[in-house]
Amino acid sequence: MSQTQPPSLLRFIGAFATGGLLSLMVLFNGTLAIYGSLLFASWVPHLTGSIAAVVALLVLQPRKASTMRPPLWAYLGGVSGALTVMLTSAAMGSSLALSGTIAIGLAGQMVFSLVADARGMFGLPQKLPSNRDLAALGLILSGSLVLIFFGGA
Amino acid sequence: MVWFATLAFVAGLLVNLSRQLNGSLSLSTSALHSSVWNHIVGLVFITVLAVLAGGLFAGAPTEAPLFAYFGGPIGVVFIAASSWAITKIGAAQTAMLIIAGQMIFGVLLDIVLGASGNMTARIVGVSLILAGMWLARSAPPAKTSFR
Repeated sequence: MSQTQPPSLLRFIGAFATGGLLSLMVLFNGTLAIYGSLLFASWVPHLTGSIAAVVALLVLQPRKASTMRPPLWAYLGGVSGALTVMLTSAAMGSSLALSGTIAIGLAGQMVFSLVADARGMFGLPQKLPSNRDLAALGLILSGSLVLIFFGGA
Repeated sequence: MVWFATLAFVAGLLVNLSRQLNGSLSLSTSALHSSVWNHIVGLVFITVLAVLAGGLFAGAPTEAPLFAYFGGPIGVVFIAASSWAITKIGAAQTAMLIIAGQMIFGVLLDIVLGASGNMTARIVGVSLILAGMWLARSAPPAKTSFR
């Protein structure tokens, strides 16, 4: 057992900026959903993303970390991600609306990620949250809930 | 209502399951490889569903503004960056920071695009999130284990 430092500034800012990308994706894909079907709004970014990803792979040619073949289940992240889009769309159309769907989704995210860390799920590093981590989490979730339920018009 | 709340909750689980699987794939390949597979496998899956369900091109998709078609390339960077982050700082920290980033940049986007909103709630919400981020960055905790 060793103590963990808070994440390095680069990792911290990197993960935060990644969330910023997500807000752009929601805007772009959400705009598609206004004009086309929900399937279309998920299909298009996967299509243009596949093309962009393959081009990036050919140009950058990143080195593989290992010569071992990853287990087949490791390739199923895309299925899980596509299912997410559909469940979210279904819930959004109900009386939960967008705000309720996002808020409950946040709960699902935190439960899964805390359990995944505690158990080191799917071969990722095992990690127990400190009280400070949990307090930080509480603040970020309450801020998010304020924005979700009261930030609109 | 309970049924839809369950769907929304499961959607939250699945986002992170996806990130966990992609992160795991990136450990033996690379972050970009995981993003490539995520998109190709997802594309095949959605295409099969679209063929079965039909209605993929319903509505007026050709009238959508051009910029809306560029969510894909951003998604490639997003998935690669998520895979990188989850293997470095863990699932909970990654989820927490991505949520923080999405919320704060979402508010900025709304302001830039002139979307109406409650400015007091925006200030309170963003302040709480920033306080949480500050706390997460402050002195190392005493009782954390990393095995």
